[in-house]
Amino acid sequence: MRSNRTLFLIEVAIFTALALVLDILPIAFKVWPNGGSVSFAMIPVFIVAFRWGIKGGLLSGLLWGLLQIAFGASILTPLQGLIEYGFAFTLLGLAGIFAKPLQRALKDGKSNLAFMYVMLGVLIGTSFRFLAHFYAGIVFWGHFAPEGQKVWLYSFLYNGSYMLPSFVLCTVLVFFLFYKQPRTLLGAATS
Amino acid sequence: MNNAFIIGQYVPGNSLVHRLDPRTKITVIFFFVFIVFFANSLASYSILTAFSLASMLTTRIPVRYILKGLTPVWFLIIFTFTLHIFVTKQGTVLVEIFNLKIYSGGVIQGFAISMRFFLLILVTSLLTLTTTPIEITDAIEDMLHPLKKIKFPVHELALMMSISLRFIPTLMQETDKISKAQASRGVDFKTGSIKDRVKAVVPLLVPLFVSAFKRAEELAMAMEARGYRGGEGRTKLRELKIMKLDIAIFILFAAVAAGLFLTRVY
Repeated sequence: MRSNRTLFLIEVAIFTALALVLDILPIAFKVWPNGGSVSFAMIPVFIVAFRWGIKGGLLSGLLWGLLQIAFGASILTPLQGLIEYGFAFTLLGLAGIFAKPLQRALKDGKSNLAFMYVMLGVLIGTSFRFLAHFYAGIVFWGHFAPEGQKVWLYSFLYNGSYMLPSFVLCTVLVFFLFYKQPRTLLGAATS
Repeated sequence: MNNAFIIGQYVPGNSLVHRLDPRTKITVIFFFVFIVFFANSLASYSILTAFSLASMLTTRIPVRYILKGLTPVWFLIIFTFTLHIFVTKQGTVLVEIFNLKIYSGGVIQGFAISMRFFLLILVTSLLTLTTTPIEITDAIEDMLHPLKKIKFPVHELALMMSISLRFIPTLMQETDKISKAQASRGVDFKTGSIKDRVKAVVPLLVPLFVSAFKRAEELAMAMEARGYRGGEGRTKLRELKIMKLDIAIFILFAAVAAGLFLTRVY
């Protein structure tokens, strides 16, 4: 089942749609004024990344960014838009580099090892997304803020304050999901 | 359909801006965002403002609705303005309160930067207010077409975007249904400590993901049964076409850009 190309495309598309749906759910904790929130939205992207590897993850992330543009994203400069909606979400897919070892660990029932791979994957994905938002924060504020302000510190704290909790939340939930329902990682839903 | 299921900003209408080809809108907005940074005189700002306000009024979307959609950025605009007033020390002193001097240069610069900010946000939001997500998808597919030469999966991406857009309302209904079903079994999503709330999400996520896998598999099977085999030679239900109106808008925009560069202070 894993090599089916059409299934791959559809699955990535539907899971990315889920990311958007989870983002607007009232259960998310949205307290950040200028965008960014601790929500469950990244979970579907990580699931795709761990199921289909790096390619699926990157594709899902890119699609998520594009969909946000289609629904009305706040793009202020072309560079900021490209970084925050083009790169930031795509980079989440890098979590997929641990797809193979994670699947093997889970098949062999080594749950500690599996947890480590999930954590490392999610860490890599969120770190790169953080870096993209961090950099865009500087580029963007560089345009609008007066010179001599510590824009990097502001950007660091602002983006870090929602990225870190998101990382913890996603690690726990993604692992829990794979551990309790291994078929969400390994096989087709009907098997 | 429940109103809560409508997401995105699109406001249906039949105005001139609504009828424009989405590619025209995206191109004009792209260049608008680019030239806004070149404005540096009163006249050049006036030209940009006139163009933005005229576009806004042509959409026939209530102005109040548009401005309400910009609420999250008002804070940012005011913040930027205040920052510039207190930090820039040029020109003559206008007001002096407790050692805090407000310079004329600061007011002018603060106003210019906030205006730039406002125009950018206003014009970019006009795109999503007057264009359906599916139109934007078609436009993106068409505009990224050259990337096919470097093996970038343009067609696949557009197909996936349409599928996602199609499934968002379905999945929202499903999420709603599952969370109600779980709530009726006693799961509490709204109160409790953060740990409890995270735990409460698990019985929502598991059935949601499992059913999403099922849907994906069924759709993939249905598509293959109907002979889907990728982008080559595929025809379309909706075709994009550049009309005279689009050409007129391009000419108008070129005039605006030329006006801006003529009135710029060097």
